Amino acid sequence: MNLRLSDLSACFEGVIPSIIATASADGMPNISYLSHVVRVDEEHVALSNQFFAKTAANVRANPKVTLIVVDGFTGDQFLLDIGFVRSVDAGALFDKIARQLKASSAQVGMSDVMRLRSADIFRVHGIEKVPSPVETAPPMTGRAPVSLPALSEAIKAIEGKAEADEIIESLLCGVRHVLGYDNALVLIHDNHRGCLTTTGSIGYERSGLGSEIAGSEGLIGAAATSGQTIKVSDMSRVRRFGEAISLEAEGAENITRIVAFPQLPTAMSQIAVPMTVRGTVTGVLFVESTERLAFREEDEAALEILVGRAASALRTSEREAAAAELKPAVSMPEPAAAGREVRVVHHRFDDSVFVDGTYIVKGVAGTLLRLMLDWHLSDGRSEFTNREMRLAAGARMPEIKDNLETRLLLLRRRLEEKQAPIRLVRVGRGRVKLEAEGPLTLDATAGDYP
Amino acid sequence: MKVDDRLLDFFNRPLMCIIAVADETGRPSAGRGVGFHLLEDRETIDVIFSAWQWPRLESCILQTGRIAATFVSPSDYVSFQLKGSAGMRETETPDLDRADRFMTAATDELESLGVPRRLIAPWLTARDARVARLVISEIYVQTPGPLAGMLAGTQAGARSQ
Repeated sequence: MNLRLSDLSACFEGVIPSIIATASADGMPNISYLSHVVRVDEEHVALSNQFFAKTAANVRANPKVTLIVVDGFTGDQFLLDIGFVRSVDAGALFDKIARQLKASSAQVGMSDVMRLRSADIFRVHGIEKVPSPVETAPPMTGRAPVSLPALSEAIKAIEGKAEADEIIESLLCGVRHVLGYDNALVLIHDNHRGCLTTTGSIGYERSGLGSEIAGSEGLIGAAATSGQTIKVSDMSRVRRFGEAISLEAEGAENITRIVAFPQLPTAMSQIAVPMTVRGTVTGVLFVESTERLAFREEDEAALEILVGRAASALRTSEREAAAAELKPAVSMPEPAAAGREVRVVHHRFDDSVFVDGTYIVKGVAGTLLRLMLDWHLSDGRSEFTNREMRLAAGARMPEIKDNLETRLLLLRRRLEEKQAPIRLVRVGRGRVKLEAEGPLTLDATAGDYP
Repeated sequence: MKVDDRLLDFFNRPLMCIIAVADETGRPSAGRGVGFHLLEDRETIDVIFSAWQWPRLESCILQTGRIAATFVSPSDYVSFQLKGSAGMRETETPDLDRADRFMTAATDELESLGVPRRLIAPWLTARDARVARLVISEIYVQTPGPLAGMLAGTQAGARSQ
């Protein structure tokens, strides 16, 4: 049987290191491990040229090279007879290799020492399977291909939703039902604070709604800053930098104002897919699995299709909500709620809000709650339009015009999750109502700094 | 070139081994080693491989008489490459014992690092075991990082590989 490079896809995931053998002009061999081999097309592979100077010198003196690549599923080994063609240090192919190297280095805990300078392109002359002393498992065990009808249904479900929460819900539902992944998060970009905030979550013991990923931190940050999907296919050797999440983490929120990022301790594969609208990254879908090599090329493509649709739908939702907010909110004062007093504290320095001493949220979502409370206390009303919030907060947070809906969603979910005596109820397109279990008080001056 | 005390310690750890040779036309070939024996002179090392799994290794050594072998400690990536002239010698019973010990230690080590045993099994076999005797002329640090490619061993200098 003639093997093709496309038959060897599980060899190019960077899970098991490849091996490169070269020989100098005078015939002295050289052998080293290679972190990543990228399949360029059916006839070419690219090698990340971060390997040793001797290998690079040999390749230029003697273009004949032999590779051993290993199937990350089965352990099967293949000998590739290859010849050096050219080197690239810029351009789309170089960028692709650089991204894959970054993810691959992260999964062996060596991102600090592996840096891509250039990539070498080789023509593949022959592929040979290395005899195995054991019968190996069939490749890609047990998983059916992605169902296109199911994907189409999921896309339609997202398109049929008008509200941000429904869109995010539909996206996560699609991830679960079309692709069978049970642990996923949607993070929305917060330009104001330069971070990504968890706004949707499935499958975790604690939802992690409101948790944040700063800047270009980890896989999620890298996907957001590069605008490219990044995955890790074998976490078994990843150094876990994250702080261990203890049961006390939830209590610590009130002191740290930091919601712990949800974790799947047994995760073996992770993927971060950027949500992009016309070239601007608006968020990231993060999915993880306890299976090694869980995200095949087709899964990645399906996730990108779902995410692309959800990103556009969220943008449309914001626009439609803005257009629908023409009718002013009822300004009729309402009778004060009976019951015990509910105390809200707002800290301006990070816009964090606490309800009866429990940390709820910070950033834009915190500002919005503060605004509604200000109006409630001055006008006595409990219904507010997105439009007035957009206008009032827009001067300080101009990006709010594009993500007010998702911030309100985050606020609503956090209030629910913390079982706060305040609830945010949607009462129509672009309109919300604040419901409290008792008369509200706002402490916005004390404790600007903790 | 002699293996120094530091390297001697390294060779007592669970290791993986990869081998390169080249034929008369300069085409390199690669394979995995499944055992070794450092001789008392510390300048010679026997490297065991499966001729069944890697049939080109023996013929290339017989053609060109040279070999490179890299040993790596899987837990911390510390690696050294040994190069030199090589010839084939008869395989003896102790070589098979060494191969068994090497494969068991390597498998256990990789498994402890999270690599499933079924994945490792295809890589390590002593079927049709052969022994290449390598007379060490060069030793290089192969650990990824700033020292990669530097000469090691008792005659270590500043020359970079």
